[in-house]
Amino acid sequence: MSEAALLWVNNIDVFYENLQVLWDVSLEVRSGEMVAIAGANGAGKSTLLKTISGLMHPARGIINFNGQEITRLPAYEIVSLGISHAPEGRKPFPEMTVLQNLMIGSYNQKARSCRKENLEKVYEIFPLLKKRKNQLAKTLSGGEQQMLVIGRGLMSNPRILIIDEMSLGLSPIFVRELFLVLHNIKTQGISILLVEQNVWQTLHEADRAYIMETGRIVLSGNARDLCEEEEVRNAYFGT
Amino acid sequence: MGESLEALATPITMGILYGGLYVVIALGLSLVFGVMKVINVAHGDFVILGSYFAYVVLTSRGVDPILSLGVGIPLFFILGVLVQRLLLYRAFKMSTDAALIIAFGISLIIQNAAQLAWTPMSKSLQTSYSFESYQVGQVYIPLVYLLDFIVAVIVVVVVHQFLQRSYLGQAITAASQDRQTAELMGINPATVYQHAFGIAIALAAVAGVFLGLTFPFNPISGVPFLIIAFGVIILGGLGSMAGTFIGGMIFGLSQSLGGHFWGPTGQLLVPFVMVLVILTIRPQGLFGR
Repeated sequence: MSEAALLWVNNIDVFYENLQVLWDVSLEVRSGEMVAIAGANGAGKSTLLKTISGLMHPARGIINFNGQEITRLPAYEIVSLGISHAPEGRKPFPEMTVLQNLMIGSYNQKARSCRKENLEKVYEIFPLLKKRKNQLAKTLSGGEQQMLVIGRGLMSNPRILIIDEMSLGLSPIFVRELFLVLHNIKTQGISILLVEQNVWQTLHEADRAYIMETGRIVLSGNARDLCEEEEVRNAYFGT
Repeated sequence: MGESLEALATPITMGILYGGLYVVIALGLSLVFGVMKVINVAHGDFVILGSYFAYVVLTSRGVDPILSLGVGIPLFFILGVLVQRLLLYRAFKMSTDAALIIAFGISLIIQNAAQLAWTPMSKSLQTSYSFESYQVGQVYIPLVYLLDFIVAVIVVVVVHQFLQRSYLGQAITAASQDRQTAELMGINPATVYQHAFGIAIALAAVAGVFLGLTFPFNPISGVPFLIIAFGVIILGGLGSMAGTFIGGMIFGLSQSLGGHFWGPTGQLLVPFVMVLVILTIRPQGLFGR
């Protein structure tokens, strides 16, 4: 474990009932870093995120966050430590308004005291959300919902923001804009952990990356370097 | 039509008014179903338990049933929290089916305990205002029926405000829309279940008092009210407050009109045929999403 690691996942094995889906997975995210986990559908990326945020627990291995072991903590406690997970499929609360969705993002005790400042920050990043604040979340477009879910994640005052499949179903131009936002968030000292099927773009945006295949991490390193790797090019870019 | 509109005015008014009672019962049932996805089949029995609570306080201490809610509401809230924590939640962690069976067991226990304690004979809550009524034109409105409606309005407004504005209410709302994502927001599902169940049982106490003021009750009266509340929820659309309110009114209305035209057999037949018809046209219920 390197000194600066904020999140440190160490050799975890994860099962769905009796079916093993993650094998000996290790990963770290340092402060202020954007890290991507890329790989095909079914590689275990979302399971890894769920295990980090406490929705699932590993059978073996350790997860540390900010110097504290969080391996067995339930999800609702982990979020108050500073891990914010925007789940797969976006999932705003559909029958709640945009504002209510943002407010529920700051439900944990630690975030409640700074909910006003955080709300202002989120409105600054996504002015559209302010315009739509009294609309039900289900009436937003896919892109707007993704903004809402990122904003909701920021409301919990995170030290690391985890986003699962941000770009799925969104136009490339819009995805580019979202990445600009993420870079902006990063400069405020919030680390970002992304899961993407869109390997090419992700590797060009992230600082470091892990490539997963069938429940294992097969490659890792500097994202730019990975773009040049023979294996990655063959498997994902077809060149 | 040989019948004049004046003759129908009374059953129409009465039906809408006591439909309020169904609204309050249905609200508790749908609150629990919303978060746990378990139908609390003991809900009707908790309502009748509420009637007996008011009966005991009335006959032993002479306290007015409505005033007794000052104690009844917190007491039933605590009862609900305990039942949830000690019984239902343990089964729920295994499966929702296990929780359903536990709820069924609770229902049987309440019914039989009530028979032991209060005999199978019907009771009612007799007060000084039990037979009071107001005349508006051709229509006589019994006071207790009017109270059923007023209470429904109050309960719907209060519960709606609670769900929309408080931290806990928003947590319950979020958990009923997406349990896993709610947990990612820092919401402890066990806390949400406990409070939702506590509130539902407190609402059962409220419903029980007004049921006892309106109709006679016995240890197994809860069953038909559970079925009616279920019909109301289906009619109005699950998870919709406005739907539950309108659903209760429609159910009461069709029940009293059914009784007016076809006698006692029509009383339950008509509203349930109504439920079937609405389900055929709008499977998600009138206000369902």
